[in-house]
Amino acid sequence: MPKPDPTDDRRRARSAADRSADHAAIDRLSGELLPALIAKLGATGLGELEVREGAWRVRLRRPVEGGAARRERRVVDRTGEWAHERGGERGADHSGERPGHAAHHQLESVTARTESRKVATSPAVGIFQPRAELTAGTRVQVGDRLGAVDMLGVPQEVLASVDGVVGTSLVEPGEAVEFGQELLVIEYDPAAPGSTNGTGG
Amino acid sequence: MARAAEVFRKVLIANRGEIALRILRACRELGVEAVVAYSEADRESLPVQLADEAICIGPADAKRSYLSAPAVISAALITGCDAIHPGYGFLSEDDGFAEVVAAHDLTFIGPPAAVLERFASKAGTRQLLAAHGLPTIPGSEGMLRDEMHALNEADRIGYPVLIKPSAGGGGKGMRMVRTARELESSIKVCRSEAKAAFGDDSLYLEKWLDQNRHVEIQVAVDRYGHGVHLGERDCSVQRRHQKILEEAPTPALSIAARAELAEMAVRAVVAAGYENVGTLEFLVDARGDAYFIEINCRIQVEHPVTEMLTGIDLVATQMRIAAGEPLGFSQADVEFRGHAMEFRINAEDPDHDFRPSAGVVERYHAPGGPGVRMDSHLFPGYEVPPFYDSLLGKLIVWGPDRATAIARGRVALEELVIDGIVTNTGIHQALLSNETFLDGKMTTNLLDRVGSAAFLAAAARA
Repeated sequence: MPKPDPTDDRRRARSAADRSADHAAIDRLSGELLPALIAKLGATGLGELEVREGAWRVRLRRPVEGGAARRERRVVDRTGEWAHERGGERGADHSGERPGHAAHHQLESVTARTESRKVATSPAVGIFQPRAELTAGTRVQVGDRLGAVDMLGVPQEVLASVDGVVGTSLVEPGEAVEFGQELLVIEYDPAAPGSTNGTGG
Repeated sequence: MARAAEVFRKVLIANRGEIALRILRACRELGVEAVVAYSEADRESLPVQLADEAICIGPADAKRSYLSAPAVISAALITGCDAIHPGYGFLSEDDGFAEVVAAHDLTFIGPPAAVLERFASKAGTRQLLAAHGLPTIPGSEGMLRDEMHALNEADRIGYPVLIKPSAGGGGKGMRMVRTARELESSIKVCRSEAKAAFGDDSLYLEKWLDQNRHVEIQVAVDRYGHGVHLGERDCSVQRRHQKILEEAPTPALSIAARAELAEMAVRAVVAAGYENVGTLEFLVDARGDAYFIEINCRIQVEHPVTEMLTGIDLVATQMRIAAGEPLGFSQADVEFRGHAMEFRINAEDPDHDFRPSAGVVERYHAPGGPGVRMDSHLFPGYEVPPFYDSLLGKLIVWGPDRATAIARGRVALEELVIDGIVTNTGIHQALLSNETFLDGKMTTNLLDRVGSAAFLAAAARA
């Protein structure tokens, strides 16, 4: 006999009307809103898009360098696979370009795009507060204080790892964060002096 | 009276591996939500995957994650937990941690801070429980102040003596010395080992008893002073002071002697004001005389042995007591059935002096059948991180008698598959064909006396 699920009571506590409204919202989200948002994000140079409607919040974020190693690997792997497929097609078209060469080009372009962003991650588990005057567009230098994660009353500083401009904030001020969570994007020019100092958030 | 599920809505599990999984299961059974706190190295672990919720508290380095009181408490607060289960090791017996937990209106699932503090020092606990009737091994008066003090105390006790750290366990910082010269050269090493392992370099001396057995008594005491014992476990099979195999009942003592020791133990801890689940460890010498050595104020790795024998869920009992529930059963209600044995499956290479092994589990199959239980966090594809202890799981077998338990143990060990990582399974198979063990006459030096390699080779020849 299956064990009783402790969450059953909580599930039952929600009304049928609530559930029906949720399902309708999810259908609309997957059918209309998400494809539209993805298209919009793709057409712009923005790193992130967020839409709020009532209790719902949808946030789309481009993959950025400096996040979890896992995610970085996935970006490169996917690009590599795709590039290899393209190379194969070109080979079949007798274009004269080596498949490996095509893959190399593709990988380079993706790397160039992602290397202009660094993500500051949380140094602790606690509540994140960005620096008071910090807004998107604020210019920062390596070592500048971006904010702090309050861990049991002790602020753990979040510092800029690269010279650049503050981009998207990935968490709200006062939001609970875990260790290693992505907090803020810093856009930087890889060719600019001083921009190679940082090694990640 | 309070019930755990009413008092605790959500519990933070501040541990990893098989014990995190064990606590998660107990929470679910009690209808309590569980949040698994994990380090970056455990991101893909089974407890994290199965948890209702999981939160990363720090990097792989345990000092900044599982041993960081601020990180653990902060994680509990931001996830809305009302209690913390520390498991074993890490912060489980840290009275300072328990105090800060309580100061944040969270419940520490274990003895309250004041109780942990009372039993924090091994030497102090020996004195306290000796005053309540427990026999103790002759040892140094208090902690060793310096080398001269150690030499004088060793002369008084008589060599050989055992150097022991006041904090911690698991054999770290522990050495047996036979002469004053050995004592002089070992004290510094033990101090630095103890400091590194437990953050406390206090040492004391104990008379070394040869040919002894390690027998421990499981107790449970509620906050109303009602205590019971749940029998004993024999943990004599050790390698360099690390338990490898545990069983109950102990083959070392008669039924009457077992009952007498267990009753004496529970009487003493209740009188000394202990609370929650705990274990009193004794050395039993060749004559059958038992000496109290230390108390473990937490759940033990080997707790399933007792659960198999009594049918009592010890992790749930910890939670109920911490929630303020009375025990709800008396000594007369505790029944002991059959014989249970636990094999600790470690990521260690017996052919290379048990050096730790790490890697990816390519294939995993847990044995089954009547009376067989496997507590493990393994799964195919799991990468064993090199940062923590080497315990991969515990295979526990039960039978109506010792012979049946041994037979089931043989079959289960044979069936167990862990590919991709070297394990110590071979040493268990060797034990189950060793005459001394089969006769129930093993002592704590069974493996170390001949050396594990020679022990394995002898088993292979047999």
